[in-house]
Amino acid sequence: MNDVVIGVFASGGFDKAAQGLVGAGRRLADSLGSRLHVVLLGSAALTVADDFARVVDTVIIVDQAEYEPETCLSALTRLCVELLPRAVLLANDTYSQEITPRLAHRLGGSAVGDGVEVHIDGEALCVSRQVYGGKAQAVIELKRKPAVVWLRARSFSPANPRATTGEIRQAVLDVPADTRTRIIERKREASGAARLEEARVIVSGGRGIGGSEPFEMELKPLADLMGAQMAASRAACDAGWVPPTWQVGQTGKKVTPDLYLAIAITGASQHMAGISEAKNIAAINTDPDAPIFKHCRFGIVEDYRKVVPLLREKLVALQK
Amino acid sequence: MNILVCLKQILDPEIPARDFRIDPVKREAERGTANLVTNIFCENALETALQFRERTSDATITVLCYGASTAEDSLRKALAMKADAAALVVNDGNQNPDPLTVARVLAAAIRKLGTFELIMVGREAGDWGAGQTGGLLAEELGLPCVSFVDRIESSDGKLRLKRQTDTGWELFEAELPVVVSITNDEHNVPRIPKVRDVMMSYRQPLTQWKLDDLDIASDEARAGNTYYEVAKLSIPLKETHCEFVTGDTLDERVEKLAKCIVEVTRAL
Amino acid sequence: MNPAGPTRQIYWNISQIWVMYFLLLPTVAIGIYGVYLRFSSWRRGAPAARFDHPAARIKLVLKHAIAQRRTARNRYSGVFHQFISYGFVILTIATTVVALDADFGTAIMRGNFYLYFQSFTVDLFGALVLLGVAMAAARRYLKRPKKLVYTDEATLILVAIFVICLQGFLVEGWRIAATNDPWGAWSPFGNLIARASRPWMSVAELQWAHRGMWWFHLAVSFGFIAWLPYTKMMHVLTAPLNIYTANLGPLGASLKYIDFENTETFGVNSLNGFTWKDLLDLDACTECGRCTDVCPANAVGKELSPRDIILQLRDLKDLGFRNSDFGLQKEALPVMGQLSGVHDANRKDAAGGPSQSAIRNPQPAIIGAVPATSPAALWQCTTCAACMEACPVYIEQMPKIVDMRRYLVMEEADFPDSMQQAIMSLEKRGHPFSGTNATRLDWAEGLGVKQISETKDAEVLLWVGCGGALVERNQKVTRSTALLLEQAGVKFAIMGREEKCSGDPARRIGNEFLFETLAKENVENLNKYEVKKVITSCPHCFNTFKNEYPQYGGRFEVYHHSEYLARLVDEGKLKPLSQLKEKITFHDPCYLGRQNGVYDAPRQLVQISAAGKTVEMERSRAKSFCCGGGGGMSFIDEPASQRVNQERAREAIETGADVLAVGCPFCMTMMEDGINARKGERDIRVRDVAELLWEAAKPRGTDE
Repeated sequence: MNDVVIGVFASGGFDKAAQGLVGAGRRLADSLGSRLHVVLLGSAALTVADDFARVVDTVIIVDQAEYEPETCLSALTRLCVELLPRAVLLANDTYSQEITPRLAHRLGGSAVGDGVEVHIDGEALCVSRQVYGGKAQAVIELKRKPAVVWLRARSFSPANPRATTGEIRQAVLDVPADTRTRIIERKREASGAARLEEARVIVSGGRGIGGSEPFEMELKPLADLMGAQMAASRAACDAGWVPPTWQVGQTGKKVTPDLYLAIAITGASQHMAGISEAKNIAAINTDPDAPIFKHCRFGIVEDYRKVVPLLREKLVALQK
Repeated sequence: MNILVCLKQILDPEIPARDFRIDPVKREAERGTANLVTNIFCENALETALQFRERTSDATITVLCYGASTAEDSLRKALAMKADAAALVVNDGNQNPDPLTVARVLAAAIRKLGTFELIMVGREAGDWGAGQTGGLLAEELGLPCVSFVDRIESSDGKLRLKRQTDTGWELFEAELPVVVSITNDEHNVPRIPKVRDVMMSYRQPLTQWKLDDLDIASDEARAGNTYYEVAKLSIPLKETHCEFVTGDTLDERVEKLAKCIVEVTRAL
Repeated sequence: MNPAGPTRQIYWNISQIWVMYFLLLPTVAIGIYGVYLRFSSWRRGAPAARFDHPAARIKLVLKHAIAQRRTARNRYSGVFHQFISYGFVILTIATTVVALDADFGTAIMRGNFYLYFQSFTVDLFGALVLLGVAMAAARRYLKRPKKLVYTDEATLILVAIFVICLQGFLVEGWRIAATNDPWGAWSPFGNLIARASRPWMSVAELQWAHRGMWWFHLAVSFGFIAWLPYTKMMHVLTAPLNIYTANLGPLGASLKYIDFENTETFGVNSLNGFTWKDLLDLDACTECGRCTDVCPANAVGKELSPRDIILQLRDLKDLGFRNSDFGLQKEALPVMGQLSGVHDANRKDAAGGPSQSAIRNPQPAIIGAVPATSPAALWQCTTCAACMEACPVYIEQMPKIVDMRRYLVMEEADFPDSMQQAIMSLEKRGHPFSGTNATRLDWAEGLGVKQISETKDAEVLLWVGCGGALVERNQKVTRSTALLLEQAGVKFAIMGREEKCSGDPARRIGNEFLFETLAKENVENLNKYEVKKVITSCPHCFNTFKNEYPQYGGRFEVYHHSEYLARLVDEGKLKPLSQLKEKITFHDPCYLGRQNGVYDAPRQLVQISAAGKTVEMERSRAKSFCCGGGGGMSFIDEPASQRVNQERAREAIETGADVLAVGCPFCMTMMEDGINARKGERDIRVRDVAELLWEAAKPRGTDE
């Protein structure tokens, strides 16, 4: 069977990630001349089913319980054994990332992650992704079938709505709950960090900020003025100045804003790997040789402590 | 409790981008000026294990690596950080084996080393960044897996694992045995070993195996590419010209900066 | 009873003289016991080879113990100390003369010798002692310099000396008065007392007073002798001994090497981890306070005090041999106050058992046992060695700080985060500048400089150093140096990518193991290329190559770039074509000047480059005030109000110079930062001496 399945943990709704994922799936299915199914898991599955139905062939609602990795993995596996897809695509959220290799293993297939481009090359499915901390680009050829891939979903353009609506059905799977692990507490940050990947403007701080106070007292007011989300480099997170959910980079969020303002961030490749899709990057840094400037549209070489308060003043004046 | 931590030795990922070169034929990075270091997430995992042992004081930590013979240095450093035992499976085949190969070799070595209640890996490696070892290893061993963990506590013969998600965190209760992949956190920055311990580490025993010593299909492991392969490797050329704001006074320069920002965001 | 010829009756008016001899026994016994206690406390230390080259050592003793040259650096103190010390020497000789005459029957205290020496000279010097004590007291109690240590012991010593000499004059004067001594006038001060006393005291009263005072004088003097070894007065014996056993090499060669295979504990955290020479240092201290006075960290308000480290360690040592268990007793530490967080060798390790270092090292910990050795203080030292340069008795304060750092770094892995970053960067990348994106060859772009692996006919290796290669501001200095060498036709090469840090930061921070690793690698590399001559623009590399690499088989001719360039100028190979019109002042780098004696070569370059005036800062040459960057301190964020570099910047600015010339990449960074922080005060540029020379010598029309 040559169909393409996309797996979605529906808590995000039909957001940019979901749309990108569908777009990728659609184009891959078209190139295979096959159908596109979406599998919805999670408590919000029912509410988003219709949105998906407009762009895919089948919507399969698997489970509406809260996510549990072992149980969800078993359910998805069971379903894929039934559907026998050529490829399974997922997004870059936490659950998708952790399930992808395990699903591939159970299906006897091959997995890869952080794909920014997918295509078929003869018998193999090829995925492009950044490697070496963002310093290089690789094309990975997946040898076994099915290919299970998690994508940088927001990097893909959405699919056009189709003339006919897809079928929505509930899957009935007899999967016993696996209680070897269970989630006993869940915390969703209230600060809106979930929206970091959707943010159009981001103000981000790095090692040079020097402490947690300046994030709160200097950068936050600036971000508020600019209508921006806040983010940080790994160094700032490891120092405990900001929560780990703010981390942007190779092992953090991948963001696609119109403007990414990097304050006191050197611009190591691992960080750049998270902002490679930003449309404009600007930087405030005391070091004119900082690598970040090689990716900037504009910037200023100066101590952020001198720039940011003044910048806030100027922005207020310009906004009047 | 027996804990096993997997380590990977990689080229220093923090060399300046200018010094980074690849061999497009071999499809891997050139050694160049880079030193060999232990992958940082693996060190985070080891540090988490060490702190866990300090709190529960009833655990042994074994470190395991599948890599070139140079990987012995990474294992010695782990011993210097006070891991209890170390094992190296020497890779005499494909030096960039695919994730399934790695998982199979590690699983075979783990079975040979004994029983472990907690198996820890870093979430991904700083070179190829596949991030699959934890999951595939769990599947090979038939164990559950919890990923992106940054805190481990013991609780009535089970483990409480806090893991990071993109929206916050989740607290797991896990039965033993379990595979855990570790991510970086302000609390698991790896400790600096004492010089004395570094010296002593080279006198401690270190188990060394070849692929043939393990119960796996060693030829297939040497090929290391039945799961996936790197078809192409390149360094993308991407340079933008940065316009540094100019002006005689700080005020002028920040004024220009503000105007640039407004220009870009006004389109919103 | 006046025997023929000038003399006097010894023991006139004194009977029962056997009492004196009797009292001599316990006096000498107590005194010798005191000396023995000190001596045996030194023997607890590790070995040290400090008896080679006796001729040089004797010269040092003559210069500094006899002529007291360093003490005399402070004119006033030098004078009163010489009065007191030479006075005591003369008085001791006088007493010996009496003993020779009285006990050995040598008729020496007669005739002209009696008049000119025993009477006049002795009187003069006795009075000088009194004057000296008065001068000392005036300074101590009226001027109250902060660097002095104010204890009851110090006061009592001054009082005792004064009293002893005063008593001496009273005894003499009353004798002269009572016996109508015909030679009395030869003892002018005694004579004064005689003249003042005669009017209102009868002979009987004089005799009575004389006898009483004589015995009183004996009691106080004997008491003083017995007491001496238990006080800082011991420096009378320990200072010459300490000077004799001083380190004969340059200050840059002050640190010890560690035999890692055969050493139980790395670094020092107990008294017997020090060498016997270190322990002797503690007893040689005169509490003069000059080391703390010149310490740059102390000058900007930090807690580091070399004087207190020595004195508080000394007190710990004395406690140690009073309490044979070696346990520290809180009650017995009145001077030091509370025990601060002891860096306890008895700490538990990760699994809850006693730490390995505790098992091997069951001595009380000294790091943190007293305020002066708190880790915070230890991490403030820039290793500039100003303390050692200032010490009149050649105490080695800075190496002890590094010894304790070694323990913290190598045995406990407990040292400041920013230094940890530097160390990790050294281990992983061979340079201490964590996070830099520069590479070793960036500075050489477009210059056509050859790497040593590519060329066979280089006469000299230009060792660039990490600062010169990876710090943008210093890359210009390296370029200037290379351009000058090229212009002079010197065939030189560089190590290029094979260059690794010399290891100096690792050594000063305390990671001797890493230093040794780097040193051996570099020596092997350089020997592989058969390097004979090395030029470097970094005084730290210069010092390491010159004084420390020979230990690892690296014997090279090492030049600071200013030395080599100055020589090229002397040989006519470099000529200034124009000269700067500005006023220039030169900041002596600690590792070039004070620690290696190179002061003139960089000044020569400054003179050549400048037609304008050159001006010296007050604290220059050996007294130069550190920029604050050595000892790993350039990797530390100091509190804003306690920045060594800003203090030095102030001094530079106050000279009114337009240019501050430097000769070290650390000084460059620290002084530029320091001057920037004082922006608005005065416009002063910082330039390396090579940059100045290049500006003067470069062909007209060159952009660079």
